[in-house]
This record gives sequence, C-alpha cells and structure tokens, in this order.
Amino acid sequence: KMAGDSRFPDVDVDGAEKSEEMEIVVNVGGVRQVFYGDNLNQYPETRLAELVNCLSGGYDSIFSLCDDYDPGKREFYFDRDPDAFKCIIDVYYFGEIHMKKGICPICFKNEMEFWKVDLKFLDDCCKAHLSEKKEELEEIARRVQLILDDLGVDASESRWKRCQKCIWKFLEKPESSYPARVIAVLSFLFILISSVVMCVGTIPDLQVVDSEGNRMEHPTLDSIETACIGWFTVEYVLRLISSPNKLHFALSFMNIVDVLAILPFYISLTLTHLGAKLMELSNVQQAVQALRIMRIARIFKLARHSSGLQTLTYALKRSFKELGLLLMYLAVGIFVFSALGYTMEQSHPETLFKSIPQSFWWAIITMTTVGYGDIYPKTTLGKLNAAISFLCGVIAIALPIHPIINNFVRYYNKQRVLETAAKHELELMELNSAEGKAAGSRSELEDLSREGKEGPFYSSRIKVSHSDTFIHLLSEEKHYRTRLQSCK
Amino acid sequence: MPLGMNKHGSRSTTSLPPDPTEIVRSKACSRRVKLNVGGLAHEVLWRTLDRLPRTRLGKLRDCNTHDSLMEICDDYNLEENEYFFDRHPGAFTSILNFYRTGKLHMMEEMCALSFSQELDYWGVDEIYLESCCQARYHQKKEQMNEELKREAETLREREGEEFDNTCCAEKRKKLWDLLEKPNSSVAAKILAIISIMFIVLSTIALSLNTLPELQGVDEFGQTTDNPQLAHVEAVCIAWFTMEYLLRFLSSPKKWKFFKGPLNAIDLLAILPYYVTIFLTESNKSVLQFQNVRRVVQIFRIMRILRILKLARHSTGLQSLGFTLRRSYNELGLLILFLAMGIMIFSSLVFFAEKDEDDTKFKSIPASFWWATITMTTVGYGDIYPKTLLGKIVGGLCCIAGVLVIALPIPIIVNNFSEFYKEQKRQEKAIKRREALERAKRNGSIVSMNMKDAFARSIELMDIVVEKNGESIAKKDKVQDNHLSPSKWKWTKRTLSETSSSKSFETKEQGSPEKARSSSSPQHLNVQQLEDMYNKMAKTQSQPNLNTKESSQAAKQKEELEMETLPGPMVPLLATRTDGIIDMRSMSSIDSFISCAAEFPDTGRFSHSPLTALPCKGGISLIQEQARPEGSGARYVEVNPSSESSHRSAFFIESPKSSIKVSNPLKLRSLKVNFMEEDTSTLVPASNVLRTYPDPLKSRGAIAAATDTSLLSDRSLMSPETSIYTTASARTPPKSPESQAAIAFNFHDAGIHKYIDADTDDEGQLMYDSSPPGNVSPKYSVANSGYLKQKDHVYRTEKNHLEAAALPTSPKLIGQNCIYSMEGITGRTQGNQETVRLENHISPEVHVLPGSGGHANTHDQSI
Repeated sequence: KMAGDSRFPDVDVDGAEKSEEMEIVVNVGGVRQVFYGDNLNQYPETRLAELVNCLSGGYDSIFSLCDDYDPGKREFYFDRDPDAFKCIIDVYYFGEIHMKKGICPICFKNEMEFWKVDLKFLDDCCKAHLSEKKEELEEIARRVQLILDDLGVDASESRWKRCQKCIWKFLEKPESSYPARVIAVLSFLFILISSVVMCVGTIPDLQVVDSEGNRMEHPTLDSIETACIGWFTVEYVLRLISSPNKLHFALSFMNIVDVLAILPFYISLTLTHLGAKLMELSNVQQAVQALRIMRIARIFKLARHSSGLQTLTYALKRSFKELGLLLMYLAVGIFVFSALGYTMEQSHPETLFKSIPQSFWWAIITMTTVGYGDIYPKTTLGKLNAAISFLCGVIAIALPIHPIINNFVRYYNKQRVLETAAKHELELMELNSAEGKAAGSRSELEDLSREGKEGPFYSSRIKVSHSDTFIHLLSEEKHYRTRLQSCK
Repeated sequence: MPLGMNKHGSRSTTSLPPDPTEIVRSKACSRRVKLNVGGLAHEVLWRTLDRLPRTRLGKLRDCNTHDSLMEICDDYNLEENEYFFDRHPGAFTSILNFYRTGKLHMMEEMCALSFSQELDYWGVDEIYLESCCQARYHQKKEQMNEELKREAETLREREGEEFDNTCCAEKRKKLWDLLEKPNSSVAAKILAIISIMFIVLSTIALSLNTLPELQGVDEFGQTTDNPQLAHVEAVCIAWFTMEYLLRFLSSPKKWKFFKGPLNAIDLLAILPYYVTIFLTESNKSVLQFQNVRRVVQIFRIMRILRILKLARHSTGLQSLGFTLRRSYNELGLLILFLAMGIMIFSSLVFFAEKDEDDTKFKSIPASFWWATITMTTVGYGDIYPKTLLGKIVGGLCCIAGVLVIALPIPIIVNNFSEFYKEQKRQEKAIKRREALERAKRNGSIVSMNMKDAFARSIELMDIVVEKNGESIAKKDKVQDNHLSPSKWKWTKRTLSETSSSKSFETKEQGSPEKARSSSSPQHLNVQQLEDMYNKMAKTQSQPNLNTKESSQAAKQKEELEMETLPGPMVPLLATRTDGIIDMRSMSSIDSFISCAAEFPDTGRFSHSPLTALPCKGGISLIQEQARPEGSGARYVEVNPSSESSHRSAFFIESPKSSIKVSNPLKLRSLKVNFMEEDTSTLVPASNVLRTYPDPLKSRGAIAAATDTSLLSDRSLMSPETSIYTTASARTPPKSPESQAAIAFNFHDAGIHKYIDADTDDEGQLMYDSSPPGNVSPKYSVANSGYLKQKDHVYRTEKNHLEAAALPTSPKLIGQNCIYSMEGITGRTQGNQETVRLENHISPEVHVLPGSGGHANTHDQSI
C-alpha cells in the first residue's frame, strides 16, 4: 500500500540553509504552492510554519504534520481541501482571511483549525456568517440533546427514577405516545373551560345574591372552577415530582405561570375560611376580589400547548430592545402631542382637554389610530395637531415593529428547519454508530469514547457522533492526532 | 500492449486495453492518485479513498481490469496515474472533502438538486450531509418536489380533458375551450369579459334593490323589488344558467366538474333565484306566507355569493383562496393571539372599570367587544374606559393589538406571494410547453435540454414512489444500511452494482480474444438476473412465480448466433418478412424513467407489458413479442418452422454515421433461434431478455447492457413523463436504403455519450434477426439508476468500437435469461394495433412506417 515509502532517501539534514531563506513546496489536494520560510514564520504556531521548523527533525516529525513527502521535489503533500487552503494562506500575505464565497463556514472553520490558523485572523465580515451558522448548530445540538434525554432509559437506574421519567414523558411530551396526547388535549380543554367560566361568571344575569346582598358566582360555575383548579394542581404536582431538576423546573417561565394560575384559588380559599378570624370581613372580600384578577394567568397556560405562542414569547424576548424603542417613541410622541393638544385647546371654552395627564389618553388613542371619540380636539389648531400626531403615531409604531416582526418570522421559520435538522442529526448519529460497530476502525469513534467530558449519559450516547454539530464539544487537538494516527 | 496507448481519447480507437497487472502496478507505485473531474485536477491519497469503500471512488482502488475501471471512471491514464470523470467539478470538491474530513458540506451556491444528482453519481448518501447544510438542501428539495407535484397535477388535469369516445367530441372540445380557457381565442376572451360584466351588473342590481327609493310596495304593505331591476336580475341569472349548463354539457368529466369549487360557487349563485321563484309561486296564497318570506330573505342573502364568481376570472383571487387554505396554521395563530389578547385585556379592563357608575363594562363577555375594537384599532367609541386604570389598560391593549396582529401576517403574506409567483410561473411554463410540443410536431426542434427534463422526471419518480414506497423502503434497509430518504434510487443503484460486479466472475468464452480479456468475461448469469428480477417482482408484489419457472426452461433451448458482416449489407433487408417491426428508440433515458416512475404503481401494473430492450451501444438487439392470450393463431407469423424466412432487419444509424461514410462500417447480424417452448402455455406472455454481448469485448458490459427499459401501457404513463419522453428522443423515419427496414436517425440529446467523439463513429449497423419461436421475448429489469446507466452506455459503445477492429465472427456467448411476465396480452385480445399503441411511449413512434403485422415490437437503442 505504501509503495511510496521505499522511495524515501536518507533524511537530508543538510539544512545548513536557514529556514528563513528556505523555499518549500506544498501540495494541497493537487494544488501546488510555493512558500518562503520567513513568510511562514510570521505565524510560528501555524502548521506550515511548524513544517518549516521541523524539517531537520527527520521523517517522523515531518509525517506527523503532513500526509506525504516527496524528497525529490521537496514537496509536502496534504490531503486537504485546496479551495479553503487558497483562502487560508492569505494570512501569510495579508494578515487576514476572507472566506471564499460558497464554502460552508463550518467546513472552513475546520480547515482553519487543521492549518492551525487562529480564528481571529478571519475578517469580521466573514465572522458574522460563521457565528450565525454556529448558533444554528448549537441550537440543533441542544435539540438533539433534548431528544436524547428523552430517549435515554437506562436500565441501571432505580425503579423510582424510571417511573419518574415515565411520568415526565407522559406529561411533558405529548408527541411521545397516544395517551400522552390525550392528556395534552384534556389539559388544553380544561384551560379553555376555566377561562370561559371565568368570563361567564362575571355576567350579572348569571350571578346570585347571597344573604348579605353581595353578588356571588353561580354555584355551578364555582364547582366547575374547583374541578379545573383540581386538575391544574394535580398536573403541576405530578410535573414537579417527576422533573429531573426541581429548581430548574420551578423557575421556568411556564411553570411560574402554572403556579400563578393555581395560587389565587387557594389563597382566597384560606382567606375566606381563616381570614375572618384575623381581620374584618370587608377586607377579606376585597382581597379575594383582587385575587380574582390573577385568574387571568391561566390563559397564559395555553402557551404550553401552542408552539406559535412560544415563538411569540421568544420573539418578544429576543426583541426586547426594539420593544423598548417602540415604547420610547410612543412615550415621546404622547408627551409632545398631549402637551401641544392641551395648549392649543385652551382657547376653546368647552375643551375636553382638562389637563396634560388627561390628554395623554387622547394622545395614545390618536397615535395608535384607535380613536374612540370621547376626547377630540375642537379648534382648528388642535385638529391640525391631531392629524400630525396621528401620522407620527403610525410611523413611530411601524418603524420599531419591523425588526420585531422579522425576529418572529425568522424564528417561526427556523423552528421547522431546526426540527428536521435535529432529526437528521440523530439519523446521522445512528448511521455512524451502526457503521462504527461494523467497521470499528473509525478513529474518531475511539477518540470520542475516550472523551468523558460531556457527562456520563451524554458520552454513552454520543460517543459515535463525529458530526460538526458537536464539534464544540470535542477537543480538536485529539481530533488531529487520531486522524493522523489513523492515516498511518 | 504499451502503456502509451492509453492516452486520453486515443484508447477508444486503438484496440487493446491494458493488462490488469499494468493497472495494479500503476496503482501501487504511488500513494496518491490524480482525479480529474471535469477538467479540474485533484490529488488525493489512496487511503483517503479507502475510507468509504462502497462509494464510486472507494471502488476505484479495487478495480484492476480495464472494464471494471471503465465502469467507474470515464477515462484513465496509467502513466500519469490519473483518472478522469466527466462530472461537475464544483460539486466534486465538496464530495472529495467528505473523504478527507468525514464531513459532507455543500457549496452554498450549488443547486440542491444538481448536488443530489452528483451525490448519487459518486455513491454518497445524502444523509451524510452535515446539519448546517442539510437544512438548506432539504428545504430546496422539498420545495422542488412540491412544485413538481403541483405541476403533475395540472398536467393530469389537462390530460383528463380527453374528448374521445363520445359524440361530437370535436364540438364539445371547442365549446369547452371557449368557456374555460379565455386565452385560447379572441371569442373566448370576449365571452369572459361579457361574463364579468354580467357578474358586476347583477351585483350592482342586487345592492340597488335595497335602496328604499327604488323599492315598490305590494298589496301586503311589504317592500318588493323594483320591476326594472328584477328584469336585470332575470337576464343575469339566465346568462349564468346558460353558462353553467353549457359548461356542464361540454365538460369531459361530469362528476369532477360538479365537484370543482368554482363550479359549486356558480351553482350557488344561480340556485337561490330559482328556489325563491319556486317558493313564492307555490305558496302564493297560503297561510305560512310569512315563513316563506323569511326563507326567501335568506336565499336573497345567498345571492351575494355571485361576487365570488369573479374568482374564475382572476388568478389573484384564486391564489388568495389557496393561500388562506395553505396558511391556516398562521391564521389559527393570528386568531389565537387575538383571542388571548381579547380575553386578557377584557378581564383586566373589567376589573378596572366595574366599580364605575353606569359603566358599560358590565361583565367580561361584555367587554370582549371593547377589547376587539381596541386591539384592531377600530375604536368606535361606543364603549371606552373612564378610570385611570382602565385607560392604562386601554393604552396597553392598543399597542399589544398592533403587535399581535402584525406578527403572523408577514408569514401569510409570504405564502401568498410565493404562491402567486408560482402560479404566474406555472402559467408561463405551460405555455412554453405547449409551444414546444407544437414545434416538435412541426419538426423544427431537434433536441432539447434533456438533463433538465431528466431531473424533473427523477423527482417525479421520487414523488410517485413516496406514495406507495413504504414496503419498498423496508426492503431497502435490508439491502443497504444507508438510511437514505430517497430509497428508491438506492435500490436501483444497488441492483446495478450487484449486476456489474457479478459480471466479473462469469466464465470465459471461446472467442479468439479470450486470452486478452480473460479476466473479464461478461456474461450476465441467469441466476443473478433472476435475483434482480425477483427483487423487483417483490416490490411489485406481483405473483408471477410460475411464469418465471416456465420461462426459465425455455431459455435453455435458446441459441443465438451472431455474425459480423463486413460492409453495409443492405441486401439482407430484402429477406425480411412482414414481421412486425415497430421500432422504437429506447435509449432515451427518459423513457426508462418514465416507466420506472410508474413502476411501483402495482395496481395497474399487472397488465402493463413490461418489455425492455437492453440494446446497448448497438451491440445487442432485442426483440419482443407479445403473445396474446388464448389466440394461438397469432403465432403463425412467428412459426418455428419458417425460421429462415422470418428475418427482420434493422437498420440503425448513429447520428454521425452519415457524416463519416468513409469509416469502416460494421454490420452485424444476429440470428436468433428460439425454440418453441410449450410449457409456457400457462404464461400469457413470456418475456425473454436477450443480451447479445459483443463476443470480443464482453467485459462487464453486459450487466450494463441490460439497461432497462420498461414499456408500459400507455395509459400507465403519467402525463408528465410522457411529455419528457417526447421531448427527449426523436425518431424521425428515415429509410433511404430500404423500404422494408426501418431506419432511425437516432438522436439522443441528453446522454453524454457522444462527448467522446471517437466513440460514435461506429457507422452503420445492421441487424438481422429471425424470431422463429413463439417465445415471446420480452423482458425487463429495471436495474440501474440513471447515472449508472449513462455510464454504461458510454462504455459499451467503446467496447463496441474496439470490437469493430476485429473482423472475426466469434460465436455468441451469452445466454441470458428469460423472464416472463404477465403481459400485455390479457387485454389486447390479439389486436396488434392496440398492442402497438400501448407500447409506444412517445407519440413520434407512430410516425414510423411500421409494417405492423403483429404484436412484435423491436426496440433498440444505441
């Protein structure tokens, strides 16, 4: 196989010539390139510079760096992508690297790592591209990990643990099984029913008057409400028990919403039963009334069942800055136009603008183009002001809203792509593991299994992955070493 | 043989391939190998290629014979240790990097479809694509698939508009065009405009009717329609009715017409009027007049539906409808957002405002209205908050409303614009295709870009396969552990691979050249073809085991004779009988694919004449003959006794032969003797695959030569594929030398085999065949994917040329195998005309002066 080996003559240690003046020929995947030693030594940590420096070190050191060496032509052969190489050598001439258009940034990053050129040499214009891709990959990796977490059922775990996991899957992953889906639908229905009950309960015709002349909710609605709260409570408690990480669970947004949906009921219950002893009845009733508002929180529970709502919250979270901008624009507009409106309307005897804070309301309603008509300008100047404020309002809202929408749309579209990508990733891993078992010779596999730093569970699962998605989880150094070993 | 002979381009005309030992030596003397892909040179270590031994490049290492090498690459140069592949160089860079790094990335500007073809060629599964590039790849592919699906649907619809087998089809078609296709003629356009005017007029009349000044008062004190407007209404309704009835009468498929959404709208626009008339007339003086009035009022409201009739005349409205249907997900999201916002803000405002005196926020449901009006920024002002808290909530509600409504709308807009663009594009595409067809009919277009057409048909095939490919997919996993999404393609590839690899192990022949070609005999062995066939048969889930057995027996008695005749042997043609001979160009890959696309369609497949003619490079001739069931008389023509008299001659002309007259023409006649095989009586039609390998050069080419072509029932052909077929291969009749023979000027635009100019100066070939037995030779194996196939074509040709240099007439080697299928026959009832019709894939074939005696079809390909 290595027929070429026989052709290697003695090591020419005639390296009397200083490496600075030396000329080396590098053949990368069929593309020949001539370098000068001093040029390469600008960046001594790079692979090519190392090559120059270790020329005197004999064949072992040469072969640890390159794939083949032709002493006759003094040509070093690397079995790498020539296109990326052409870009990377720019660093020796210009001190910065630009990615060639069309090369996948992740692929290019790997090539740079092979040539041991630091990523900082990549110019900023190309870095943005790379980081975008990286983020995407991280997202995919996170998803894959999630899926793997779900998949993992270790026989070694205790029965209780397994049971826990079962319940967790049952409640949290509606797509995992048929009954889980039924549970999800049921829970969704309960949320709907309780929301409807909450709304219907406020209709005066459906309320009953108790002995003291206070309006009370209809007893039927009350019992439905109780049933719903019971369901929510059971659901929450089960989730809490089965969750692998209690603190993380308790602090996550959706679960806080859950708590907020349940708590008012129990607080008002305790208040009505115990509070009477502690304080006056009217105070208790006021407190209960206040707590009723908090029932609204249950509507947010719907977000758990709709990916669209989750996307919305994500988009809003991501575009915090833009939202602030929107509010700021509006606030400035409101201040300016309400003040203007107030002063201009002063001349009118029956003005509706009684004070500047009062005309805030008018400004909001005008700027958002709602226009109830409860307050409106009556003087000509005031009307002019109203027209301008309306125009400014449209612009002030439209401008910052665009990035928010963009965020939303991008995330919404990405959602699906990432989903399929994660599935693909899993398939790839499966494939590789199958191949790894069959061939058992893939160097990366051993490499990865040696690596225990992803955590016990992780490493047992992903040890066969050699996908770029997990590249950040691996140490690149080992990668090279084993790659070279495998070549020998 | 000197190595120097193996220079590029020179080898095909020089005769001898290098010895395997030379190849081995050349490979051994360097750790690296040069790969020249489409002119771009790459250098790579052998061991890098070994990392994926099952791919094309991985196999390159193990190929030590000329033929096996030629199967993998397109050309090679041992001195330079260089292998040439005639493929896209850009995609190859990424693929070679896959060998080097184990990570398959994709060039960003590369089209996903062409990349997938390249992956197929190099034998790399697309599943290896890294996640960062995979998303883009699959998105594009999905999009393309969807597009093709839609295109296929429209084409099927168009295909559905066949006006045959009914009375006055011609007139009805004209009427249909007039009413349904406003672009077809000026009259149709005028008709459409009149129709639009009537719609607008009737809508205006409907609105005017409600103006109190224009209404009359009847004897009961009720308002009635203005008499003038009632007339207008009557006229409009009469027009609509007439239009609808005419459409219905002229429509080719009544039920489908009735179901169409646009026609349902038409019906709904007309019906209320008649129902109203009926109700008022029948109940004029009855007691429940008031009830009738109420019903009539409801029907009056339904009249407003006629405004939707405008949708027929506007693609914009249609796309709007389609967009709404397609983006119901986003619409649901919008409504969900709004509902949540309304609920939250109305309850908030309720709690803020409920303590006000004479507040209008009496309950949460009552404040829903306020929240809706505020969130949509309509703001009537009939209800508004008065407390400070309420006003704050109101302000937040406005802003939230603006946000919430704005968010999902861009997605819907995106869907709309995409669909709209698509619609426009499709309209253009259909027009272009029509123009193309017209041009082809006129004979003004010689060829078209077949690669494009091919890609589409491949995709279409995928789509069809997707539908019923579940069982196939399972099988694939057994054969191959690649979890490819495009499983069908993999199967084919695997099949072809097995066939080509097995061909190495076949026995040697008694040809004088044997010594040289010792290592590569080329004989498709029966067992293995059968294997392939079995696989296919299984996927079809079609039980025809008994037929296979019987035909197997038949095969053993077969004898083939082959002669190589010098010079153009035109005289031979004279001996031809009235046999058959309907020739068809089969090398068209599209025809293969189009058939293959229908292949999994097992339901109808049972009576498709599965005939395939592996005639590669003009070396082999295959004839097929359909034996109609139960009509033995048909066989008289192919009587075994009149063996000698039954000769059919074919004359194939390569496109270049007319130019290079001076070239030594090779003529070869194949004499085929079939023995009668009685055991096949059970079998409606036994199919025989005959491959006639070039005796001199029978290298791995036979497997290749069993290029597969399936002839399928015309009705089976999906409309889209048939179009591609017609586009790809033209076979104008040209028989200057003899009337009896059918000459082909075969132009195969898409296959790259003519790239190497040296390969096709094979000149004219003559085939003589005598089909004496009633064996109906018909066979087919759909073994190879397009890429392989193409490759084989190319190679076979070369082989053929090399053979040409040797004037000897060795004897036939190969026997092949017989496969029987349930044939054509079940249906044809001995009507040859029908058979022929069904066998034709491309309409052009009808032009050929087939002497048309019996149901034989001879297919050839170069």
